[in-house]
Amino acid sequence: MSEITKGGRDPLDEALASLSADVRPERDLWPEIHAEIAKTPILAPASRVQTTWFRLAATVLLVVATSFTTYYITRHSVQPQTAQNVEPLPAPVTPVQPASFSFGPERLGAGYMNARAELDKRFQERLATLPAADRAKVEKNLADIRHAADEISATLAQHPSDPLLQDLLMSTYQSELQLLANVSDLPSAGSMRTDL
Amino acid sequence: MRVAVTVAAALLLAQAAGAQEVQKSAQADPRGEVVISNVAGEVQVTGWDRNEVHVSADLSDDNQRLEFRSSGARTTIEVVLPRGHSYQGSTDLVVQIPRNSSLSMTTVSADQTVKDVRGTQRLQAVSGTIQTELWNEDLELKNVSGEINVRGHNGKGALRATSVSGGLRLEDVGSEMELNTVTGDMTVRVAELSKARIRTTNGNVELRASKVTDDLRIDAEGINGDLRFRFPRTLDAEFDISTFNGDIDNCFGPKPHKTSEYGPGNALRFKEGNGDGRVRIKALNGTVEICNR
Repeated sequence: MSEITKGGRDPLDEALASLSADVRPERDLWPEIHAEIAKTPILAPASRVQTTWFRLAATVLLVVATSFTTYYITRHSVQPQTAQNVEPLPAPVTPVQPASFSFGPERLGAGYMNARAELDKRFQERLATLPAADRAKVEKNLADIRHAADEISATLAQHPSDPLLQDLLMSTYQSELQLLANVSDLPSAGSMRTDL
Repeated sequence: MRVAVTVAAALLLAQAAGAQEVQKSAQADPRGEVVISNVAGEVQVTGWDRNEVHVSADLSDDNQRLEFRSSGARTTIEVVLPRGHSYQGSTDLVVQIPRNSSLSMTTVSADQTVKDVRGTQRLQAVSGTIQTELWNEDLELKNVSGEINVRGHNGKGALRATSVSGGLRLEDVGSEMELNTVTGDMTVRVAELSKARIRTTNGNVELRASKVTDDLRIDAEGINGDLRFRFPRTLDAEFDISTFNGDIDNCFGPKPHKTSEYGPGNALRFKEGNGDGRVRIKALNGTVEICNR
């Protein structure tokens, strides 16, 4: 409980009022602050395009991770059956090559590229077990997707901030991964039981 | 007389070739899981009202075996091929399963036909047509080099279909779907549409919805091909459509604008009704058409 003075004011209020409102520093601090600021490198804000690519990269990596998880779970569940007597057909005459995008997937980072290469390897293994006619169709479809990605990335190189092209390119990369994962996951004659 | 001789000759030829018909059956959980796999031939699966799985297999030669296992709520039907042989024959399977079973089927070079199976279905095929029905449970379809045909019953089941080198034809399916084709056209007709995610690389899309929900969400992207949507006369949705190289035809009224003075791209954003729903369509090379009639 606080006492009230004759003037009707609280002593604490009076004490506060007696303090100087302007606290002066002992010395001028600004030159030192300025020097410290000057020592710290200034980071330029990420451009919109760069930010978008990071966001897209995260999306694609998520797709890759999901595809791999699905693939491995499926692979392990059928491994005892498929490990035996798979008669691989001759490797396709025209092996599917990774596309060389001018505004391409390498922008999504080494992690993505490694995962994509690994998925492509599994895809090639499974592709080799498909009937020749189906193999040709799958290769044609993958070539179409990669051609579309090439086409979009070339155009995107001319219009790097076009959000429509960015979305469509990312969607095409996802289609490519989905195709690789789906074919790796799909049944083939070699994946059926042949242990009679 | 001549017919009888022909039939007898055919039977003798079949016997000589080693063809055999096998029939097996087992009690099954009414909501159990049935797993089927087959290489080459045809598989017909029908739901029935018995708690029993029955299979009739027409094996083309003695080198094949039908494996039929039942364990708990799971029944497995598998055509087992001879070890080390290059398989040339085909096997037809006719299977009856409890109507509410879930079904998982994988085939290579075999057509799949499923009727009146009302549990969840997961069907995968390479080089063969998939034909099935959609009821109130979810349906997942993957096909490489073959068509997918689904006849729905306007049920609640969600549909997820992926096709590589093959078209999709969907009628009266449920209100939620995720559709992907690499090369192939999509034709979709629904009584009511709520959520659709559509992706195509090379192919046309035609989607017709008689009714849409208030929370309509459509997200469609096409690389090469026309995307056509028919909606009911009135709806509440905000449209966001853009093409890099293609026209936008809009029956709702607002006209698209060029995205660049010299380029072929178009964009269109407008709101219809309250604008509660969202329709987002993007195309690289192709026409987008939205219409309400």
